[in-house]
Amino acid sequence: MQGGYEDLIIVGINQVGFKGRRSKEMDNQVQSRGQKELQEQVINAHLCVGCGACAYLCPYQVIYKDQTIVLHDCDLAEGRCYAFCPRTSTDYDAIRKALFDEEDLTLELGPIKGFYIVRAAGEVNRANAQHGGTVSALMALALEEGLIDAAIVAEGEDNFLHHGIAVTEPIDIKKRGKSKFIVSPTVAEFNKIAAGDAKKIGVVATPCQAQAFAKMRMKPIAGKESHIDKLQLVIGLFCGWALSWRKFTDLLRRSTSLESITGMDKPPGTQTVEIFTTNGTIILPVDDINTCIREACHYCIDSTAEFSDISVGSARLPESWEETKTWNQVIVRSERGQTLLELARSKNVLEFRDVPEGNFDELKKAAVEKKKGAIERLREKSGQPNDLIYLDENDPVIKKIMG
Amino acid sequence: MSKLIDENEGAQYLYMGNEAIARGALEAGISLASGYPGTPSSEIIENLAKVAGERNLYVEWSTNEKVAMEVAAAASFAQLRSLCVMKQNGVNVASDFLLHLAGSGTRGGMVLVTCDDPGALSSVNEGESRHFFRMVEVPLLEPGDFQEAKDMTKWAFELSEELRSLVAVRSVTRMSHASGNVKIGKLPSTDKQAEFRYSGFILDPMEGIVGSAPVAFRHAEQQEKIKKVREIFEDCPFNTYEGPEKPDLLVITSSACTLYSREAINLLGLQDRVGLLKIGTTWPLPPRLLTKYLSLTDRILIVEEVLPFLEDNVKIIAAEQAKAIGVKTFYGKNNGTIPTAGEMNPDHVVAAFCKILNIEYVTMSSEYEQRAQLLGFTLVPNREQTFCPGCPHRASFWSIHNALQLDNRKGFVCGDIGCYTMAMLPTGFSTLKTVHSMGSGTGIASGFGKLGPFGMDQPVLSVCGDSTFYHAAMPALVNAVHHKSNIIMIVLDNSGTAMTGFQPHPGLAVSAMGDEVPAIDVAKICEAVGARVEVRDPFNLKETPDTLLELMEDQEGAKVLILRQKCALSPERKAKKYFEMQVDEERCIGEECGCNRLCTRILRCPGLFWDKEKKTARIDEVLCAGCGVCSYICPEEAIIRKEVA
Ligand SMILES: Cc1cc2nc3c(=O)[nH]c(=O)nc-3n(C[C@H](O)[C@H](O)[C@H](O)COP(=O)(O)OP(=O)(O)OC[C@H]3O[C@@H](n4cnc5c(N)ncnc54)[C@H](O)[C@@H]3O)c2cc1C
Ligand code: SF4
Ligand code: SF4
Ligand code: SF4
Repeated sequence: MQGGYEDLIIVGINQVGFKGRRSKEMDNQVQSRGQKELQEQVINAHLCVGCGACAYLCPYQVIYKDQTIVLHDCDLAEGRCYAFCPRTSTDYDAIRKALFDEEDLTLELGPIKGFYIVRAAGEVNRANAQHGGTVSALMALALEEGLIDAAIVAEGEDNFLHHGIAVTEPIDIKKRGKSKFIVSPTVAEFNKIAAGDAKKIGVVATPCQAQAFAKMRMKPIAGKESHIDKLQLVIGLFCGWALSWRKFTDLLRRSTSLESITGMDKPPGTQTVEIFTTNGTIILPVDDINTCIREACHYCIDSTAEFSDISVGSARLPESWEETKTWNQVIVRSERGQTLLELARSKNVLEFRDVPEGNFDELKKAAVEKKKGAIERLREKSGQPNDLIYLDENDPVIKKIMG
Repeated sequence: MSKLIDENEGAQYLYMGNEAIARGALEAGISLASGYPGTPSSEIIENLAKVAGERNLYVEWSTNEKVAMEVAAAASFAQLRSLCVMKQNGVNVASDFLLHLAGSGTRGGMVLVTCDDPGALSSVNEGESRHFFRMVEVPLLEPGDFQEAKDMTKWAFELSEELRSLVAVRSVTRMSHASGNVKIGKLPSTDKQAEFRYSGFILDPMEGIVGSAPVAFRHAEQQEKIKKVREIFEDCPFNTYEGPEKPDLLVITSSACTLYSREAINLLGLQDRVGLLKIGTTWPLPPRLLTKYLSLTDRILIVEEVLPFLEDNVKIIAAEQAKAIGVKTFYGKNNGTIPTAGEMNPDHVVAAFCKILNIEYVTMSSEYEQRAQLLGFTLVPNREQTFCPGCPHRASFWSIHNALQLDNRKGFVCGDIGCYTMAMLPTGFSTLKTVHSMGSGTGIASGFGKLGPFGMDQPVLSVCGDSTFYHAAMPALVNAVHHKSNIIMIVLDNSGTAMTGFQPHPGLAVSAMGDEVPAIDVAKICEAVGARVEVRDPFNLKETPDTLLELMEDQEGAKVLILRQKCALSPERKAKKYFEMQVDEERCIGEECGCNRLCTRILRCPGLFWDKEKKTARIDEVLCAGCGVCSYICPEEAIIRKEVA
């Protein structure tokens, strides 16, 4: 192992002296920020992850394809668009502490109440899933049990595009399994439906989307109600990167028609990406795919959706990939997440197995690597070793990684 | 009965300049009038169309100015008198035929009236038509008042027949659109016989073939005509002098500037010091007449609008006659005494007099000026140029703007001339990025659309109006389709030449004279050319941008989107609102984050206003045209529309 992260063991936040710090947000309270700054600092700066937190709050920002589009200028000095965006300057440490139990906080992986290897019980329940079907199973269970009355998942469209869709029936969750590697603007859909009839909303969110929801839960700004209290469950997806639609579809069109594609995956530990089509699987070198990564993803420090109630990713097991890919690793982060997982256990919705030795350390290592890479690139982008653009260089997690 | 065809010879009427010109043409006994609408010229053809029945005229709005002149020339070739009317840049369009017509000569009296627009009050250029007539060697007259506008027009036909040449009469906005007293003359009988003769000796001007070849022969003939007309102009009553025998300063002027110069002389009480030579025959200038008046004094001021046309021509004569008249000091545009751009007015002439004659004169006391400025700032509402309430262009450009934003590849729109030119301003969401002559948007787009191999991947759109489509955009579309240029041509079809007052065009089933004629369908033409064609209603704010987005993805060749909706001022729509509109003040969130006044700040339809006290948007019931567009864009559904039964 190359140095640096090994000593980043799971420690309670209080042990590394996070306390008593003035938040960056507070420092900046005198500055007012709205659409103009969002556009300058995030969208035009290629930091936008396309989460949709700024979209459909008003008529000005919308999502089209996987892009956040500013339709018209807004001259408000302060706006929810800027306040909710996960890529405007944010004191994530303050949010961590406000939303999670401080004793659960870790530097590499965020809050942790438990770590599990699970999958949806019964092969049929995994048939339409990316991996073990855990996400779909948990979300369907939450609906069945009335923990939520609507769930936002990703809905595929033509040409490899996706949008968030709110569903109310468990069966509709299972129909919408599988990972979409192009951004699905989940938060935008939340903004759209939150004013509607649903009272308790659950979402499947990538890490950046979970960050946006976390910022929204902090209610950083007065204004038209954002209905964020309706958000009752965030199931986070582990995430290495997402792809730019235009670049990726241009690449795919060279080897197949977009209509024939049924899914894709990146087997861990390999240098390839698998594209599943109606005519079989196409293997693309990861270097090709890397050219299609959304620029904003290079500046993301979160690989495990640290701001969700429960996070799910693909498992790493000693068995073959064929077997391994039917399992998920899961991090439970909050009370709500814990309740849901226990419910799944008691109702036999999920199958559990032992966590192989070293598995957790592997995950930490990968998480730290993503953080380091992002921090390096942010420094490069700003041209200042201490300017991490949207991140707070005094955030203890960042401080530790930066050394 | 219209005052335009009053038979009461000697009666006085208050005529607008354009009416005076029309009356002059009627007194000359024209049989045919053609033109293309363009401010400030349009009322001439409109007025003639109204009396077409009574005066046995054929009047048409032609497809463009070149065709208009060709149509008028045919009547002349058939020995009828004909009038052709256009605005300054129309002469550019017609100029190719103009050159050839000057060479071939005419038979029945034919007059071209061009109405120029110094200061570009209703134009996107300050074009000068006068230079064309020197360039193609055609006599040019410029009326200096309303009586002259009538009399000169009539005389122009006689001159045309005497010379067998086209004669041009140039008006300007302040001549065409202002009004003055005109004493009317006799109207001739209306029974005319047309025949085109071509069986005589090939070079016979009245019986041979009509053409500009053999060039050397025809050109020499043309120059003989110019020599002849110069002689005629020496004694022309439209060139007048008023002032002392030995003035300190001689003003040489023409057209509306005659009025400004006279006013400046009176204002400063310079009647005894300044002489005013008013020229009605601007080209070719009569040299003996000029020599006579240039001899009166050594200081000469030339007052005219836009370019130094008169000035240059006067100076040529002064140089040629230097021995006889001595050395002169010239004041005018070349030495900066008179501004070279924008409209003239009496103040400019006053300033020139003060400078040349060393006179102190303050047109406005500084106290008055300050107060006027202050009041101007505080009391006069800031009026930006804007589309009318309920204008389909606002809705069209809303969708075009949004589609371009969504597409997110820095696409842009090339435009041309029409009401929609305003889309380069906030009222059209600053959507137009190039604006040139009619049809040029599509021609330019056709070029942009071929720059892909050089790395240009921006979507290229063009807009043109329905009238513009027939006028000059069709060849550009043919070019784009033929060369597989990746463009989207948007035809803003508002069913008429709205900008200039709803003159019919080939897309409508009615002619200038109100007769039923076949309408020519834009969509069918485009399809026949081979373009993919979509037709949408711009008031459908969902379908229109969706269609555009889809067309932008389709990167193959030229596509046409026709956005069809009647102009808000059209007779049909003026009579009826589609919707009764109302703002639910409870629902309107106004300046709050979540809206920030989208309707009154961005859409900016004059039918909506922002009630600063109540902090809500409101409908101005008088101005609102009931199109319903604002209700579709309100994020809170606070603007409520109720369909009018
Ligand atoms: C862009 C992306 C990158 C990922 N990168 C990694 C990685 O590097 N390492 C790793 O271990 N796991 C990664 N994952 C997670 C992994 O692909 C699986 O989603 C996860 O293991 C859960 O599997 P499952 O079988 O339980 O999911 P399923 O039961 O198939 O359910 C997946 C759920 O996610 C929703 N969804 C799919 N795509 C998106 C999206 N783009 N945005 C929001 N919701 C979506 C679906 O609608 C569905 O509800 C990534 C996922 C995505 C979307
Ligand atoms: S209305 Fe609010 S959310 Fe929308 S652009 Fe303006 S400040 Fe941003
Ligand atoms: S990151 Fe999300 S909130 Fe920020 S600009 Fe992009 S879409 Fe909007
Ligand atoms: S309905 Fe709205 S957009 Fe249409 S004219 Fe009235 S105020 Fe203007």
